[in-house]
Amino acid sequence: MQQDHPINQPEQQHSPEHHADTVLLPEPTPWPMVLSLGLALSITGMVTHWVVSLLGLVLTLRSMVGWFFDVFPHEKHIYVPVQAGIIEITSTRTTRSQLPVGVDHRKLIPIETFSVTAGLKGGIVGGIAMILPAALFGLIRYHSVWYAVNLLAAGGFVHWAGESDAFLAQFHLYGLLAATAIHGLTSILIGLLYGAMLPMFPRKPILTAGFVAPLLWTGILYSALGVISPILNARIDWLWFVISQIAFGLVCGFIVNLQVKVRTPQFRALPFSVRAGIHSDQSHKEDPSHKEDQ
Amino acid sequence: MATPVMEAIDQTQSPPQGPPRPNVIYAWLTTVDHKKIGLMYIAYALVFLLVGGVEAVLMRIQLAIPNNHFVSPQVFNQLFTMHGTTMVFFVGMPILFGFGNYLVPLMIGARDMAFPRLNAFSFWISAFAGLLLYFSYFGASGLYAAGSAPDVGWFAYAPLTAKVFSPGHSTDYWTLAVFLSGVGSIGTALNIVTTILCMRCKGMKMSRMPLLPWLYLVMASLVFVAVSPLTAAQIMLTLDRYIGSHFFDTQAGGSAVLWMHFFWIFGHPEVYVLVLPAFAFVNEIVPVFSRKAMFGYPAMVAASVSIGFISLSVWAHHMFTVGLGPVGNTFFVFATMVISVPTGIKIFNWLATIWGGKVIFATPMMFCVGFLFQFLIAGLTGIMLSAAPFDWQLGNSYFVVAHFHYVLVGSILFAIFGAFYYWYPKVTGRMMSETLGKWHFWLFIIGFHLTFDFMHVPGLLGMPRRIYTYEAGRGWESWNLIVSIGAIFQAAGILVFCYNMVRSYYRGKEAGHDPWDAWTLEWSTPSPPPAYNFAIEPTVNSRRPLWDLKHPEDPDSDYE
Repeated sequence: MQQDHPINQPEQQHSPEHHADTVLLPEPTPWPMVLSLGLALSITGMVTHWVVSLLGLVLTLRSMVGWFFDVFPHEKHIYVPVQAGIIEITSTRTTRSQLPVGVDHRKLIPIETFSVTAGLKGGIVGGIAMILPAALFGLIRYHSVWYAVNLLAAGGFVHWAGESDAFLAQFHLYGLLAATAIHGLTSILIGLLYGAMLPMFPRKPILTAGFVAPLLWTGILYSALGVISPILNARIDWLWFVISQIAFGLVCGFIVNLQVKVRTPQFRALPFSVRAGIHSDQSHKEDPSHKEDQ
Repeated sequence: MATPVMEAIDQTQSPPQGPPRPNVIYAWLTTVDHKKIGLMYIAYALVFLLVGGVEAVLMRIQLAIPNNHFVSPQVFNQLFTMHGTTMVFFVGMPILFGFGNYLVPLMIGARDMAFPRLNAFSFWISAFAGLLLYFSYFGASGLYAAGSAPDVGWFAYAPLTAKVFSPGHSTDYWTLAVFLSGVGSIGTALNIVTTILCMRCKGMKMSRMPLLPWLYLVMASLVFVAVSPLTAAQIMLTLDRYIGSHFFDTQAGGSAVLWMHFFWIFGHPEVYVLVLPAFAFVNEIVPVFSRKAMFGYPAMVAASVSIGFISLSVWAHHMFTVGLGPVGNTFFVFATMVISVPTGIKIFNWLATIWGGKVIFATPMMFCVGFLFQFLIAGLTGIMLSAAPFDWQLGNSYFVVAHFHYVLVGSILFAIFGAFYYWYPKVTGRMMSETLGKWHFWLFIIGFHLTFDFMHVPGLLGMPRRIYTYEAGRGWESWNLIVSIGAIFQAAGILVFCYNMVRSYYRGKEAGHDPWDAWTLEWSTPSPPPAYNFAIEPTVNSRRPLWDLKHPEDPDSDYE
């Protein structure tokens, strides 16, 4: 091991052969420290004595000049000699052992998934589909399509808590805007969730998207709606709510499944012959969609 | 056995070692080396950690029993002000900037920070800020006559800071010290952002960057947005106090609530400025000691960036008791609750990384496991407090104190301790003692839970924060005694940690360059690394370049 002494040399005197065994680094300098001390003393004078500020000002100006000449006309550097050698980059552990994976082994990470836009599209169209049963509910029960709109918006308007059904059956611009924001945001978020989740349950998309997910979502809301929107909780008709959810789920799931799938990084880990379509991926032998491909 | 591919990373044989120079002190004072500046940040923060810790112990002695007069009310006010200010501005930020300074260039394959001289300036101005704050004990002429430390609380609410309520200079010391510290913070943040964006080695795309630089990038960006309003507010307060302007003077058309907004628009992102580097340490330690790659790297990056954005829109949850109105309350409740989504993603990803791994419970990993558990609890009490009606009941109580200490100590400090044990071998070339490390862990975790678990209870029973003493018979006595006993355990743990660091420096086992069999670039350099870090600029092909070199038959680059 050799002593590593920095060599002070101006940059312009540096010869090309130096590059092989030295590294260029910024030269140490006291001026940043002196400048910070100067600035600190300058304002310390505000709580001690003006002479302290004066001293700080002097240090500040001197260090600014010093710093200036550190970088102009040429930035000062030092050449640090490098003692080259080989460092062993080895592991004390053996390579991880790959457990044999049976063809029926559950595969958690899909090799194909939907893009984000698929979820967005599904959410938007599903949200529009959901409006139909909700409006139908309002028409049949209260003879107004605005009832469901205002009921959804009521969560944001505390003073609507005591309003009558007749009031909620009327058109209110603020109610429409609030309901549109709430419904639009929620639909898009749920659509994104569908886009992310559907590839994980590829076998029965209609069952998963159209029935299981809406019923789960309804169950969660049933227990939480009292906190989220007491007004909605007091007036909601759960049968119609479930019908609306199923309408959303079926349409959203259908739209998402229509989109072209994109390959995940997991796909790149497959052997080239599988990726090129020359050989089939054995672990996917049971996948019905794969059978179709074959 | 060396292989040709290894030479691509580093050919440096050893760090510079030789007889001590007579001008060692001058060398440290004038250094622009990111590693030395990082170490000075850390050393300076550790000194203030001890000072802030002593202040905490003094407060806990005062509160251990009812009707106690161990310190005077005036001294107690100074203690909680100085403790809070010290721990946030002169321990938390410097220690995390210190780790960032040391590690970021090494992890991205750079030779130094982008602006080495600015780096030195930022450190020194922060250091002088800390000295200025503590000089108030000797130089300030405050409400309690000469030698008066600031006593207005760490968030210095107006109008208490007005000249009429806070005469003398003690509050000015606080204002000016925090202002100077802010200048240093912004300088370092600028350096970190520029270094990460402009100085990554060949092949290190953003999508291949280790998570630690990613989180430091988010943290440094937050510093720009968060510290600037605080610095502006300090200037406004100084103008109020020196030339009679009325920004916060409520009797002359000013607004005390304006100060609250300015302070908390800094104060809440500041929590994430402190906790994001802690996340970064855990991101590096957990995979290495689980012997697995980080689970969900893209989700972790996205969650970190989301936290950065959302944290800018939650500040007024500190002000629910001010009376924001239904719209303000609803927005800030919602925004605060939403931030639990990306933090939840992080917790699940850490658990998924550990799940099925070959976990090694070395000291760094033990601290990270403690972090995981405690950060979860801190998050849960945070969600409780984010509900405005709950906050109206418990705002400014010891429940709040317990909650944020769960974040600052149970999460951030635990991660920092893990980082010390993990990177100490790289910095010094010596291993820290595992036996002493485990003593430190157990003493500290027992002390932590005694103190901060039981601190929730007097809060629920109505004990307000910043209270000097209390009457017996309110049901607070036994809880406070337990809380104070916990502080003694924590202090003992810290002493073991300090002893371990000093002892290991001289008598610790030789570490070698890669004692943990890790995967990021800093472990390809000698321990300690030479001034130039890398003799040859490294080239990387994946997020774990050392894994690729150690296992060329199964490189990560095949999967990313």
